[in-house]
Amino acid sequence: MIPRACILALAIATLASPPPDPLFIDAARVTGLDFTHVNGASGRYYIAEEMGAGVALFDYDSDGDLDVFLVQGGPLVPGRASLQAGQGGEASLQAGQGSEASLKAGPTSRLFRNDLTRDANGKPRVHFTDVTAQAGVGLRGYGMGAAVGDYDNDGDLDLFVTTFGPDTLFRNNGNGTFTDVTASAGVSDDLWSTSATFFDYDRDGDLDLFVANYLDFTLAGNKACVDSLGAPDYCGPRLYEPVPDKLYRNDGGRFTNVTDAAGLTKAYGAGLGVVAGDFNHDGWLDLYVANDARPNQLWINRHDGTFIDEGLLSGSAVNAAGNPEGSMGIASGDFDNDGDEDLLITNILGETFVLYRNDGHGVFEDVRAATGIGAATGGMTGFGTAWLDYDNDGWLDLFVANGAVNTIESQRGQTSPLKMKNQLFRNDGAGRFADVSAVAGPPFERADVGRGAAFGDIDNDGDIDIVVTANGGPVQLLLNQNATGHHWLELALRQGSGNRFGVGARVGVERSGKPALWGRVHTDGSYLSSSDVRLHFGLGDAATISGVIVEWPDGTRERWSDVPVDRLVELTQGKGLK
Amino acid sequence: MPSKSVAPFGATRIAAAMLTLLTGAVAAQESLPRLAVETYPPPAREQIGRVYQKAEAARDNAAAVGALARVLHAWSQWEPAHQTYARAQALAPGTFEWHYLDGFVLERLTRHAEAAEQFRQAAALSPSYLPARVKLAEELLEAGDREHSAPLFQQLARDPAAEPAAELGLGRIAALDGRHDAAIAHLERATTLFPQFGAAYYALARSYRAVGRLDDAQRALARQTQYGPQWPAIGDPVLAGVLALREDASALMDRGIKAAEAGDVAAAIAAHEAALEANPELVQAHVNLISLYGRAGKRAKAEEHYRAVVARGVSLDVAHYDYGVLLGMENDWDGAADAYRKAIAVNPNHVRARNNLGQILERQQKLQEAADQYRRAVDIQPTFRVARFNLGRMLIALGRPQEAIHEFERLVEQRDAETPTYLYALATAHVRSGHLAEGARLAAQARDLARDYGQSELAAAIDRDLARIK
Repeated sequence: MIPRACILALAIATLASPPPDPLFIDAARVTGLDFTHVNGASGRYYIAEEMGAGVALFDYDSDGDLDVFLVQGGPLVPGRASLQAGQGGEASLQAGQGSEASLKAGPTSRLFRNDLTRDANGKPRVHFTDVTAQAGVGLRGYGMGAAVGDYDNDGDLDLFVTTFGPDTLFRNNGNGTFTDVTASAGVSDDLWSTSATFFDYDRDGDLDLFVANYLDFTLAGNKACVDSLGAPDYCGPRLYEPVPDKLYRNDGGRFTNVTDAAGLTKAYGAGLGVVAGDFNHDGWLDLYVANDARPNQLWINRHDGTFIDEGLLSGSAVNAAGNPEGSMGIASGDFDNDGDEDLLITNILGETFVLYRNDGHGVFEDVRAATGIGAATGGMTGFGTAWLDYDNDGWLDLFVANGAVNTIESQRGQTSPLKMKNQLFRNDGAGRFADVSAVAGPPFERADVGRGAAFGDIDNDGDIDIVVTANGGPVQLLLNQNATGHHWLELALRQGSGNRFGVGARVGVERSGKPALWGRVHTDGSYLSSSDVRLHFGLGDAATISGVIVEWPDGTRERWSDVPVDRLVELTQGKGLK
Repeated sequence: MPSKSVAPFGATRIAAAMLTLLTGAVAAQESLPRLAVETYPPPAREQIGRVYQKAEAARDNAAAVGALARVLHAWSQWEPAHQTYARAQALAPGTFEWHYLDGFVLERLTRHAEAAEQFRQAAALSPSYLPARVKLAEELLEAGDREHSAPLFQQLARDPAAEPAAELGLGRIAALDGRHDAAIAHLERATTLFPQFGAAYYALARSYRAVGRLDDAQRALARQTQYGPQWPAIGDPVLAGVLALREDASALMDRGIKAAEAGDVAAAIAAHEAALEANPELVQAHVNLISLYGRAGKRAKAEEHYRAVVARGVSLDVAHYDYGVLLGMENDWDGAADAYRKAIAVNPNHVRARNNLGQILERQQKLQEAADQYRRAVDIQPTFRVARFNLGRMLIALGRPQEAIHEFERLVEQRDAETPTYLYALATAHVRSGHLAEGARLAAQARDLARDYGQSELAAAIDRDLARIK
């Protein structure tokens, strides 16, 4: 036992030293990002109520900063307002009953414009303005996710919103407004859609659309389940049947359902997460789909319009015992700086999250134990996630939004017994991750029912920020307060025609005496969410780089030298630096 | 832009945390968990509350504390169960049971290294208890400690009861080391010893792929899909004793489900009825009894439970569907069709209801309507092979064999025990389309494949048809 005098001395010493600044702060309220998700909790434990919704970070007005689109839920039972307080007992109903009236007056998805300015000291000041009405994107329905991409190649970013029901494609008109073009574009069905991605699978210069679909659940077919102590609780996905995902080929602005022709009906699960990447390094974009309690799919592009599922044999579909896990979110990136795309999948409580290290040829090794990820995540249910170099040291770190789907025993009796803390893992550069959540700032002390997460440099200060959604709760805006002084580089790719933002391009930053840093232009991954299309690289202490290589989606390769750091640089295909 | 906040990381909090750690650590490690028993539903509250009260009254009594741990374990309360087992161990360190069972709890908490330590202590206390040695080897492997798990698996491989699991462990270790030929040898041995060993087939598939044996890999994967999570059982009365502690409705129903899976319908019914006696609102028990009584030939009882489910307004599509199956077994085709339509009304994506409705429509010679239901089923679930097969048959019956060829071709892409039938159907479609040579070729292929799968009757039937074609 340490003597009291020593304890006192230690306490005094601790009092004397200044506390470290938080790595992240939650600036949602002060910046005007005022949004609370409505999950329509009805007391009937509909499985849809526990899914939450996503968020998109994209520059809809092309003014150089990231705006925020937040997907909204709503009442699932017509005529009955949401029991927002939670499940069980006699939770009170909110005001506003009545059938059609309550639906028409219900909450909508919202678009917030970022009015980023700089103060007299040059410090960024973020302020959000709700522009939902004028933009025309106030979608009312049980929203799930959002995907962003310039599907019509007119130079602005369009928006696809998935729902428990029909989906919606909003075309960006380029003047601050959107038009619902779902019917004319031919992209919707009545299946329960979740995550989606725009990607050019056939390399014809326009972005095709893949939509993950979940279960055959209907309100009328709801099942009754109990938790481990016998109290009513949400049923798991195994009690329902999965429904097929969809692949829509872009034929110049109109889409054709090519799911069957592409071979994607041969295997599917209860899809929740999707990411496009070149996992076998053959220059063509593949797809990875995270399925809930079913084997995940690794769809390898066969270059002829078809795909083959290599998930099981690649080692990325199930755990070592051959059993599927409750997979929700995906982070795709090169965590070990060996030039290929590795995968982090968030799973359910009791399974741990899995880190699949790519051997460069699309064969994966489960390294969750070796990297420390497994040990740190067994008590978590993870959703939104991404690789991000939060401290700009040149190694990809990891963020996960956590939140339970079944009652947490220590919270039994509370109005929302599903709260968990989010996690931040620091990559030590030697193959291991340390959970630094305890020193990451106040947002990581707060427990909530985390779901979607989108990543991007919201205040344009050279580090990655995060927007996190909560199921039935308020959105969080985690602004990165990185003060390491490390150098960085952000890249915005441009193509003259077709796939204007270079989605799918593979980009390498060459460094003197160190391996190149590789990244891919994408907005997908995470859970139900869409992130910044710009690329971010942390450079550590390197004040210069040797060059930047871009492997464009059309297969061409280009290199730039003399690229300055600590700024956003636009790279235009064939036209040099800007 | 808000100023950077410093309060949450104030020194006061750090110092307080340190003091708490230093002065409270020892007591916390051995204390009983605090349980909010009053928030539990009645059966759990009653059983857990009873043993909790006894343990609180006799905190230094290892038996009382251990009893609480076992009950918490039975009710899947993992963290409190572990905490209680830890106290029981502190009170009675030489008791095998507290270490052994804590190992399972820690495994569920994915704390594999700690679980391995508990199994190590258990195995040291009772070296002859085989399951403890097996779990030790497995948890060491899960924790990433191949070096120590390998020799344990090698020892276990000498015991016939543990040999399949040991061969799987050795195979996984060899694969992780990149020694895939050695891995294949171990894994093939595991599947020879236990032919339903899904996990071993999966590991085998990966090693086959690593050495370039892709066809073998696909066959192994097919077996893994077929057998799923089946695992060679090793008798474990200590663990079984914990699982038997619960007598609440959910536990009784689970026993009923296991009895049904083992084919003991009478025992399954009895367990489900006991579950309902404990909790009449356990809807799933009512749902299960519809099909169980149907299998027992007791329609009236099945209907009683069907009406109970419908009255409660949940799992309606399942209830309607199961009732439809029951009526079909009794040749009440109109009633069955009506039930399937109700299932579809509740869940338009209920493909089995659509498939079964299609079969009734076939009986009623409404072939186009049948084909429509089959078509809808495969549009919703493209991997539903039975429905696609039925669709193909209907297309032939409707005089559209060329369309049937397209459907049957989809079915034969996958190779398994069903493929001979589908190949035979494809052959038939070709013959009906006038492609006699192609039909004969495919029929011969189907016959040979049927023989490979031991389907002698099918092979003989195909031979007869081939003779007719020639």
